[in-house]
This record gives sequence, C-alpha cells and structure tokens, in this order.
Amino acid sequence: MMKKSRLIAVLLLLCLLFPLGAQGQAESGQQKEIELRWASIWVGNDSKAPAVEALVEEFNTKNAGKIKVVIEPQPDYNAYEQKVRTSLAAGQAPADIFTIKFNPTTATFYQSNLLMDFQGKLDDAWKGTFDAGSLEQSTVDGMLKSLPMETAILPIWYNMDAMKSVGVNAMPATEQQMFSAFDKLKAAGIAPTSQMTGDTNAWTSMIWFSHFAVSLGGPNVWDKPFTDPAFVEAANLIKRMIQEYSTADAVGLGAGGSGGHFLAGRTAVFSNGPWYAGRADLAATPFFDSIKIGGLPAVGEYEDIMISRLQANICAASSKDADKEQAIVDFLKFLTSPSSIAKIAETSGAMFAIKTDYRPVNNLQKQFYDANEAASTTAFDLEAALGAEVTLEFAQQLGALALDRISAEEFCALVDRKIER
Amino acid sequence: MQAVGTRNRWIWSARILFLLPVSLLFFFFFIYPFFFTVFTSFTSWRGIGSMKFNGVKNYAKLIADPTFQKALGNNIVWALSQGLIQVPLACLVAMILVRKPFGWRGLRTIYYLPNVISTVALAMVWVAIYNVDGPLNAILADLFGMEKHNWLGNPDTALFAVIFQTVIYIGYFMIVLLASAMNIPRSLYEAAEIDGASTLVQEINITLPMLRGTLITTMTLAMAYGMRHFEATFLMTGGGPAYATTTMGIDLYLKMDALRYSEASTSGVFLIIMGTLVITLLRKLFGSSDPMSEMAQ
Repeated sequence: MMKKSRLIAVLLLLCLLFPLGAQGQAESGQQKEIELRWASIWVGNDSKAPAVEALVEEFNTKNAGKIKVVIEPQPDYNAYEQKVRTSLAAGQAPADIFTIKFNPTTATFYQSNLLMDFQGKLDDAWKGTFDAGSLEQSTVDGMLKSLPMETAILPIWYNMDAMKSVGVNAMPATEQQMFSAFDKLKAAGIAPTSQMTGDTNAWTSMIWFSHFAVSLGGPNVWDKPFTDPAFVEAANLIKRMIQEYSTADAVGLGAGGSGGHFLAGRTAVFSNGPWYAGRADLAATPFFDSIKIGGLPAVGEYEDIMISRLQANICAASSKDADKEQAIVDFLKFLTSPSSIAKIAETSGAMFAIKTDYRPVNNLQKQFYDANEAASTTAFDLEAALGAEVTLEFAQQLGALALDRISAEEFCALVDRKIER
Repeated sequence: MQAVGTRNRWIWSARILFLLPVSLLFFFFFIYPFFFTVFTSFTSWRGIGSMKFNGVKNYAKLIADPTFQKALGNNIVWALSQGLIQVPLACLVAMILVRKPFGWRGLRTIYYLPNVISTVALAMVWVAIYNVDGPLNAILADLFGMEKHNWLGNPDTALFAVIFQTVIYIGYFMIVLLASAMNIPRSLYEAAEIDGASTLVQEINITLPMLRGTLITTMTLAMAYGMRHFEATFLMTGGGPAYATTTMGIDLYLKMDALRYSEASTSGVFLIIMGTLVITLLRKLFGSSDPMSEMAQ
C-alpha cells in the first residue's frame, strides 16, 4: 500500500515537471523578448502623456518580439518620489527605467550600484544630441547615472491686462520701473505679486529669491556661503516683496494659493515654470492672451540671467544581463532622439535638454523659448543648486523674516547652517 | 495516560498554529522594523550605500537641534491639549447625553460625524476658514471690528489654530465614554436620588469615579496621539511658519525627505521613548484600577 502511494506521488511529480522542461526546450530555440518596466510620471492628465505613450507604442512595434517597454503609471508625484527613495534604500531599483528631479539631495542616488552609469554607454553621436551644460550638471564624480531630459526655465509672468489698467504698457526693464509698476498696482488695489512661504520650498518666492541672488552675486552665486552680501541683499528684497507687494496671506501660503491668486486676477505678477502654461484653468482666464513672460529686471550687476533647473532626469537600473542593458540603451536612444523629443515638446510645450529644431507655435509656450534664448546665461534656482534640506530651511525661515522676527543676516545664517560643505 | 499526553500535544500544537500567523506579522511588521530603526539610529546612513556606526552622535545632534526642541515642545502642548481639553470635553458631552435628553441620538451622530470625514478634507476646510479673507476673520470683523489676521501664517497663533481644529472633534472619545457611562448601574443613581443628591453631586460622586478606568484609557490614547501628531499640521502648515507648528512626526518625515535615514530613525526612537513615557506617567499618576470591572467581578 505504502509502495503504491509513493509510486503515485513520483508519477504526479513527473507529470508536473514535464511541461516545464518541455517549455524550456521550446523557448531555448527562439529569442526571448526583453520586457522593460518604465515607472513613468508622464501619464494621465500630464501634458506629455499622449506623446510618450505613442512613442512607447512605436518603439514596441519596431522591436516586436525583441524588446517590450511597459509603462507603470505613477500619477502621484509625491508617492512616486517616496517609492524611488524607499526602493533604493531597500536595495531594489524602482523599475528598469525611471525619472528623478536632479539636485544635491537626489545626487545621493549616484552612490547606488543599482543605477546604470551612462558614461560608458554614451557614444559621441548620442552625447552630441544633449545640451552640454545639462550633461555636465548631471555628472557627479565622473559618473553619469541619470540623463538630463526635461529642463525648465523659471521666468516671471506678467498679466499685462492688469499692468495696462494702471498705465504700465510694457514689462519693466529696470528695478526702478519694476517698483514703480508695483506701486501703481498697489495703489489700484491689486496685489502686485504672488508670494508664498508655505510648503516645503516656498516655491514662487524661492524663484524670486533665486532671480535676486543671481543678479546680485552672478551665476555662480550658489557656490558662495549663504552669509554672502548677495544673499543678505536678496533676503531684504524678498522680504520687501512679501511685506509690501504681495497678498496679506503670503506668509504660510502654499503653491496652490499663490497660483490661485494669479489665476483669479488678484495678483498681477507671478513666477513658475513652463508646465503651468498648459493648465486649462489658466487658458480659461480672461487675461490669458495678455500674459507676457520675461526675466526679472536686474537688481544687481549681473543682467539677463535666466533661472533654470533640470526638471526630470532619466535613470535606468543596472543589470548583469548585457542584453537587457543594451535594450535599455536602445530605448533611451530612441526616446531622447531629437525627433522623439520634438513630438513630446509639440504636445506639451515642455523644454528639454536635447537639442531639436522644434519651435512652439502657441504664444505662451513660444515666449518661454524666446525668454530662454534671450538670456545671456542660465543659473540654477536655490532648490536645484542646494537641495531639499536647504530649501526647507529657506521656506521655514522666510516666514520669520517676512514677519520681522529675524533680520536678513540672521535669516541667511540660519539657511547657511543647513548647507553641507 | 497516553491519551491525555496526546491531547495536551494537540492543544499546544493548535495554540501555536493559531498564534503563528499573527506572531509572524507582528515580528515582520513591528519587532524587526523596531530593532532596525534602533540599529540605524546609531549609524550614519542616507538610505544608499553602507551604514557607518557613529555611536550616539545622532542623539547628541538631535537633542542640540533647536528645530527638534521646538518639535518636542509642540508635541507636549499637543499631548496636554488632547488629554486635558479634548477628553474632558468629550466626557462632559457623554455625561449630558447619557441622561438621554431630547434629540440625544441625533446629537451623538452629529458629534461623531467629523470622525468619519477624512483628515485631509477637514484640514482643507479649516485652511479656508483660517484664511485672511476667510469666514473666521469676516465674523470677527462683524462682531468685534477686529482687523484681518493671518491665523496660520503667524507663529503666535498658528499652533493654537491647528490644535483648536483637532480638539473640538470629540466624537471618538465621547462615544467610548458614553458607552461606558451607559453601563453604570441605574440603582446607584436611584439610591443617590433617594438620599437627595442633586444631578451635579451624582455626576461628581457616581459617574466620574465609575468612568475612571475609561477616562484613563481615553486620556492615554489622546496623549499618545498628541505625542505622535502629524497629519493635520503637515497638511495645514507643513510645520511652519519658522517651525512654529512642527512636531516630532514632521521632523522625522522631513529628515526622510532629505535622505537622512539614520537621523530620521533617531527621531523615531525618541518618539517611541516619549510615547512610552507618557503612558507610564499616566499609569503612575492615576493607577490602572477600574471600578466598573471591579464591580463586575
């Protein structure tokens, strides 16, 4: 009886294993399709989503049976950032392909062996398609573990309908003109600018501060100690902006509130990146066609410097499988080719670190390209240059500065203690 | 004899089998993370690369950090507010509702309603209420001619504004206390009435002592929540302005955000220690006896 049972068990086991063996033999005869998982943030309502999805489909069709890229949608950016951090901390790449906002904080990811180093993969032809400055900014200790893809300039937005209503017919070209225009707006009961100290980066005010600091200290101002006179003067200027030329709720206000004031016409001057240009609620405003984009008038000796940042760098998981690494490189070459980038730019109006001949036709998007080209040079904003922790301290202490709880010198000293040297 | 032995073995096997799933979950999702957190708090680690042992440096840095000191102070204010304002308020309402006044069922539902609404939604509503151009300033201006005030943007009022919108939601503790109060034997009140005791005297001498055990439990829960408070403040002020509303939970989160994993672990360990201290202190102060359960025995 016992022997019979054992025999049945062995037979059952053989029956289970046979199909597996047969399948293995069948597969060894044909080339295995490589599947690449892409944790993409350009999904859902994102303006880049349709073009990105079409490109992935095009690539999959061209490489049918060899490579298949599968998009894993990441619609919530904050949750996505947490996923990237925790996955890398747990010793796993979040996906085969993913993006990061490159700054000194995320540059820590370069220490991970889980990320592919593109330095050896980037041939001259491919390298030539990228903006050299962006490639250099993405290189840490000789490693290029993320490729610059989406970039952004952070100019100043003027609601010219509001400006014209107080007799200002052109964007201010000098500091004097700027304050004069702001005084006129204020006298007419319009808060001139949308400032804010809330959220973890005091976003719109951080952009203003970056413009001031760069104009006062030059494009390399972020290399100086934060106690440098350029920063102290910039702190005094941003304090004046919040106290005299913004809405009463600026201290503690978040980005939603700051943008909301501009959209509602309560403020006339705003600051944000090109992604804001594609918003439906902006297009619905009565002043949409009057919006002018430009730099901030020089408040120091450095003129025509535009504030910019690397908005999205693309990373890939390193792999022991050479075929898989090659498949990733093939896809990224396709995705970052000038023709692919032109397609994404056309639908989204976003700006890229890859050189293309594309020029937008949309008035607002075109102004971003014009403002970028008009600048003599670009410089990073505070967050892109000094990282998340320094920016958090900036945002927290900005409220105290605006409420006169601390002086500009104390403000700069407090931010300075957070900078790692 | 052998049958008894086999039965005992079966009973023990069954006990282990029943305990195994929950024990495994407890080990993997509490014991292991707890010891991992304690371990990493003694290292220098940014979530990537190898950990370097650095002794108690993180603890020394944390204690000397003015932001953390502010967070600790705020958490103590939170714990006291929840334990000494929210729970007594809940107890007062429970004591009124237990006497079943007109519409008590409706009131019970209304008081509990905010507890079924998401914290995010409530926080957003209160951000609008506290806005410079919001309804609170409008009402105060109409009634007292007060000037507009930036409640969440002023370090002097931000903390109390956030605490206020939390402590007024007494529903959860009210329901717990009400359930307990409803179990107090009616005979005690009847005897007191025969002796001529007023309602107030009955509440002080019967209801409150009988609720002692439940009150200690609710206070412990409320204060422990106050020590680990995070959501509402993070949503309403992000810990600002100038760290005026920051808490240990926010400090921990922001350290994680800046990839300071080992320092975040140190904040986490501190949070656990503070929570344990609060519970121990409450037990020492009020004891753990419960007249209701003693009566039941």
